[in-house]
Formats: sequence, C-alpha cells, structure tokens
Amino acid sequence: MPPHLCQLCNTARAQVLRPKNHARICANCFIATFERETAETITSSNLFQPGERIAIGASGGKDSTVLASVLKTLNERHGWGLDLVLLSIDEGITGYRDHSLDAVKRNSVEYDLPLKIVSYEELYGWSMDQVVAQVGKKGNCTYCGVFRRQALDRGAAMLGVAHVVTGHNADDVAETVLMNLLRGDLPRLSRATSIVTSTPRAGQPKASLDGQPAAVSFTNVKRSKPLMYAYEKEIVLYAHHKKLDYFSTECIYSPEAFRGSARTLIKNLERIRPESILDVVRSGVDMAKLVPDADGNCKGACGSRKATEIEVKHDGEEEEEAGGGGCGSGNGQETGGEMAEMEKKLLQDDRAEEEGTETHISMPVKAVNGQRHDGDEKVGPPAAALVGEANGQGHDRHKHPPMSTATTVPIRTKQEKKAGRRSGRDAPPPRQVLGQCERCGYLSSQAVCKACMLLEGLNKARPRTGIEVGSAGG
Amino acid sequence: MPGRRAAPPIDHTLCRRCQVTEPAITVRTEPLCAGCFSKYVPTKIVKRMESFRVRHSDPGNERVLLLPLSFGSCSTALLHVLSQQLKGQAEKTGRTGFKLHVLHVDSSDAMAESSLLGKVQERYPEHTFSSCPLSDVLAVDGVRELFQADSSNSEPLNDDGSSRELTLEKLFASLTSPTSRGDILQILLRKLVVNCAKRESCEAILWGHSTTRLAERTLAETAKGRGSSLPWIVADGELLHGVPFYYPMRDLLSKEIASFTSFLEPPLDDVIATEAVKPAVSTKNTTIDDLMKQYFESVEQEYPSIVANVVKTTAKLRATPLHEVETQCELCDVPLDGQAPERSRLCYGCIRTLPQFAG
Repeated sequence: MPPHLCQLCNTARAQVLRPKNHARICANCFIATFERETAETITSSNLFQPGERIAIGASGGKDSTVLASVLKTLNERHGWGLDLVLLSIDEGITGYRDHSLDAVKRNSVEYDLPLKIVSYEELYGWSMDQVVAQVGKKGNCTYCGVFRRQALDRGAAMLGVAHVVTGHNADDVAETVLMNLLRGDLPRLSRATSIVTSTPRAGQPKASLDGQPAAVSFTNVKRSKPLMYAYEKEIVLYAHHKKLDYFSTECIYSPEAFRGSARTLIKNLERIRPESILDVVRSGVDMAKLVPDADGNCKGACGSRKATEIEVKHDGEEEEEAGGGGCGSGNGQETGGEMAEMEKKLLQDDRAEEEGTETHISMPVKAVNGQRHDGDEKVGPPAAALVGEANGQGHDRHKHPPMSTATTVPIRTKQEKKAGRRSGRDAPPPRQVLGQCERCGYLSSQAVCKACMLLEGLNKARPRTGIEVGSAGG
Repeated sequence: MPGRRAAPPIDHTLCRRCQVTEPAITVRTEPLCAGCFSKYVPTKIVKRMESFRVRHSDPGNERVLLLPLSFGSCSTALLHVLSQQLKGQAEKTGRTGFKLHVLHVDSSDAMAESSLLGKVQERYPEHTFSSCPLSDVLAVDGVRELFQADSSNSEPLNDDGSSRELTLEKLFASLTSPTSRGDILQILLRKLVVNCAKRESCEAILWGHSTTRLAERTLAETAKGRGSSLPWIVADGELLHGVPFYYPMRDLLSKEIASFTSFLEPPLDDVIATEAVKPAVSTKNTTIDDLMKQYFESVEQEYPSIVANVVKTTAKLRATPLHEVETQCELCDVPLDGQAPERSRLCYGCIRTLPQFAG
C-alpha cells in the first residue's frame, strides 16, 4: 500500500490519523491544527481576558506540559498578553511526584515561565506518603483530591492569580461524565462538561478602580480546562512531535474504582468508534442542561445555548477530576472498595424504604412550612409554598435563598435524618449552599470543609509523635 | 420511633420471606425460595401498571395497550405476568383494566419466529396478536423520503413488500459501522412499533426493558452523542414519539427476569427465543450497544444496586416540555432546538450515525 499523503498539505507523508474525524495528516499540519483548535476553544468561550494573569496547574505529566507549551505558543502568536506562571502541587509521593516535579522545573526553565510549588506538607502538615502510611492505599485518593483542590486555590492566591487552567482533556471529561452517571451524581454531572468552573465569588472579582486586581483570596479562584475538547491520544502525539519533556509514570497509589471502571469503558468505546469520546462530552453538555436545579432549572428550555455553554459553574469544595494534578489514572483493576461501598449504601437505602422505616419523605419541608405558616389555616398559601419548595426553589435561583438554608438545617431528629437521606435519592439533587469553613475559611456547604474534616481524622490518629491519643486531635 | 416491632429472629438458611422453604435465589442479598420469588417479580411489574388499573378503566371504552414481543425473556415474561394480572382482574371484578395487543416485528429468521408466535398465541389466546416485517417501516409516513432525499438514483416508489425489503437491505448495507446499523435498527423498530400502536388505537406501549437494559441504553445513548434523549428513554408515560411509553419491568434486573422465566410452571422456555451468544472477541464487529450490554451484565452480578441507581438518576433528568419544542429530529424525534446544526433535519446523534444523509 502506498503511503498516504497528508490530506491538508498534500505534500508530506501522513503520520497522524485523527480520532475525531479519521483525517490522515502530517506532523506539521497536525501541530498547526491542534494549536488552532485549542485557540478556537479559548476564543469561542472567551476564556481569557487580555493581560490576564494565568496559573497553569502543572504536574509534569503530558497534559499539563502540552497545555503549558500550547498556551505559551498561542500567547506569543496571537499577542494575547497573558501573564503565564506554572503552579505545581507537591503531594509528597516519593517515586512519583519528585520525578515529575523535576520535569516541571525543566519546563519552567525552557519556557521561561516562573514556577511556584506548594506542598501538602506545608499546607496541611501531611504528605500523601504519610497519609497513605496512616489510612492505607484504599481511599487515599479522596484525601489527595480534596487536598489538591484547595492547594491549587491557595497556591494561586499566593501568586495573586485568580485563574488556574488545568490539563483536563476530552478523555478525562468523557470519563467524568460516565463516572457520574454510574455513581448517580447529577450535580457533578452537570459541572463535568463546563469549560469554566469557579468558586462563587470569582464571578465578581473585587477589582479596585485603578484596574489593579485586588488581592486574590483563595476562595476566589476561577478554573478552566482549555484542552477539554482535545483527545488524550492527540495530546500524546503533540507532545511526541513537539518533543516535549514530560514525565509519564502514573500515580503509584490506587485510582478510584468508579473512575477506573469509566476509564475502561471510554477506552473500549474509543476502540469501537473513536468519535464517541467527543460524543460523550457532547452528551454531557446536553445532559447538563437537563439537570434540574443544579444551577437554575431552565437551562434547556430558555436562554441561548451559547450562554449555557460558557456559563460559569459553581464548584465549591469539589474534589476535582483527574488530570491537572496527575491522579485518577489506573486501569480499573481494583474495582473493589468504592463500588462495593456504594452498593452497600444503596442496598441499605432500598431496604429501609421497603421496610417502611423511612416514611416521612417530605418531613423537613413540611416542618419548615409548619413554622412559617404557623397559625395560618388557609389552605392556599401553605400548599403553594409546599409546591414551590418541592420544585426545588424554582423561583429564586439567582441567590442563595434563606429558605433553602432553612430546609437543610432543621433540628434533626433521627427520623428526619433518614428522611433527608431518602429525599436525597428521590427528590431533585440537593442544592448546595455555600458558606465558608469555620476553621480554615475555605468554601464549604458544611460548617467545616471536607479537608478540615479529613485532617481532623488524620490528626486524631497520629499517635506516633509520642503524644497520648487523648490529647491529640487539636 | 413509631411502628417498629421487634421482629422474630431470622433463620438465614431459609427463605427470608416465608421462612419455610429453602432459598432458591438471592435477590439483592435477600435469599428467597422459588415460590416467594415468583410472587416478587409480578408485584414489581404490577406496581408499575398503576395507571391501568380496573378502577381507572371506563367500562364501555376498553383501553388497549401494545406489547411489542421480541421472544426475548424480558418481553415474554412481561406478557406472562400481565396475562396473569388480567386473569386475576377478570376473576375478581368481572372486567379488566386494559386489553393487550401483542405485536411481533419479524427479523431475519421469520420461519422460526412464526412458529414461536403460534406457540405464544396458543398459550395466551385471550390477546390480539399481529406481526409485520421490519420493512413495513418504509411505509410509515416520511421514512422512505428521509432515506431517499439524498440518494441520487432514487428509484420509483414501487411500494410493495419485496421492494421495501430490498430498500431496507440497501440502507443497512450503506451504513458504515456495526454501531450505526444497530442504532438505525433500534430507531426503525421503535418507529414501526409506534406506528402500529397508532394504527391499532393503542393508548400506550409497554416495553419489556429491565433495569439492566435501561442502564445499558443510558450509557449507550450517551456514548452515541444522544445525551439529550435520555429523559425520554427511561421515563414512564412520556410521549415524545406520539404514543406514551411505559417500562413495567424497570424495577427488575435482567438476571432476575431470566430466573423468573426458568422457575415458571410450565416453563416459558419453549416460547423464548434463545439468544445467539456473541463471542466478545473482535472489537471490529462489536457495537456500542454490545459493549454496554457486556458491561452491565458484569456490573449486575456484583453491584445490582448501582445498575438500578443509574436508571433512577437518569430518570431525574428533566425533559423539555413537548409544547415548547419547535422542531424534532425527523429520524429519532428528539427536540432539535439547540441540539443540532442550523436547519438540520437530524439531531447530532443521527448525523453521527447517518453522515451521508445529513442534509
């Protein structure tokens, strides 16, 4: 068979078969196309402001290395005037992160971009190696994910940067879509495909009048993923043809089971129909519009599509997806823990439902109505209020209404607690009301944020320092 | 804590429900004997038939429901359970909440299938039966035009059975991948069934999809770029296609239904077409539907609740109210607003499957 010629330039030999459209093109055309498409993603969703200071979440892996390289190239080519810096998180995983950080350091020199490294050790007093020594290999990804999210925000704030870009690619996003379908997490499903995720106040930065950005708070950092439409395969090819210097070992600790399972599916799908990765992303975008009350409940029905796609999704205390920071790899071999745990929980819910131990489904709502309409015997208004709330606060989606706070924090009897759990499965997904962690000030829908909760657990069980158990846990 | 009685200690070697017989099957960690299990399955189905109870029926005006029968274990089990339910209703009240019209769409092996249909008809003589070839779908309004609009050498509309057969064969041959063929087959089948339901004035269509099957479809449609169609795929009572769809088996797993049919006396085996077991070797001929089927077959073994949860979650997606929908995909009926390129007659998913017909 004669060698194919590049379909674009018709001169060079085709070296790349593009998964998304089966085009055969040469290396140079591929690099140009990849860069052009990334630029299109960035400009069509108005990702950056001219002159904006951007931190690139750099793990030293292929995705973030390609992201740094492409952004540097595009910034110079198109005169965007972006002020780019590299931001790395040192989770403290010996044999993995230390090597990948060396790659980041080399890239920092090569691309002439300043680098900031923030370590778990300095932020939390715990490296991941220490966490694993404490909690074991199972479930440590939760710690890593929760810590990383905060660490990136805190690192960005230290640099005075209000916008972090991560290297999430199309495969990662597709994986997240399937994973959230599998574990029944609609709020996250609706966030998975938005190119910008953001902490609530990032939308209105408190910029001072002279145009100088005010000091960036770590609760005020915007996230985006410029490579979310790029195939992982193409990212690898780009890195290969541009001879980029990256570190390609996967995290030595175990991946989450659901993600592993979803990843295997995505890889198989890609084999059957390569386009399907972007099709899953596409489906995810469409489904996000159908998720009730995640962010206002009329996404699909009203408002232009454009507005929906670039809509900023709120994303407080989220344990971030894979990529960027470098975990969530794995091959789905260890499908044990997480899935089994969820299976158990779902079974308990089912059984409780069947045995009738959970009957007062709408109890918290009713209780609230009872209070608010005390003595009001008219049939009309209470019923109307009930409907309004049952619909998930359809009328006041633009602010966090005190009403929903009231619905979520009644004084709970044991029974109501169960009812709450039940309604969590059957009612529209609960609306997250964001406040701040009372300990560290990070965004949280609970009084104490997830990271502080995890730390408390870790610190409680840190007896090896010679202090007796009873006095630990401060 | 109201209403909690101290339960007598449970003997774990016996059926969890009757505590008399040895268990024959474990249903989501609950060991059940064949008898209790044979009651469990119909309960789950009948519960989903609430809206068709006797008390909702108007004596002079019988409601007819269409049951598409593939001779697979799910649709056959559904037919069996509903037949029992109708008998029970007739005995108790002297009338029934609805009547069934059983429809079979012939596929390749029409001979074997017609003998099966005869057997089913013998066993459940109280229902109306009919069958038609898939190629009849080309006689449905707009379908032939849809596929002919693009093919330049459009033949004269010679609309007899054999020419339809031929046209359909050509259509399938023109599709580039097994996934596309499977996708189109499903859509055409649905179109034909809906059309029959309309023709026979059926009030609704009762599909035999199990939880497992619905979960498969959720992920398969997602992977085919049809995410926007999901609320309609799993919801009961939705009438995106003109006739409301119901999934009475939605609370049962595929493996539970298979066990149910094997426990029945007399067994249903001789009216169920055994599925040809597809070796899962070559990815070349695997379709996205096959992949999801295999995936959930394995998840179902260990994590049945996760399968059920996928369906419950999908059911929470909110469909655009149909009266707000301006245009629908001409092939799969999904709303086109914002889902497809401008002026396209097809949705994103259908364009993916039929790139050559996208105009």
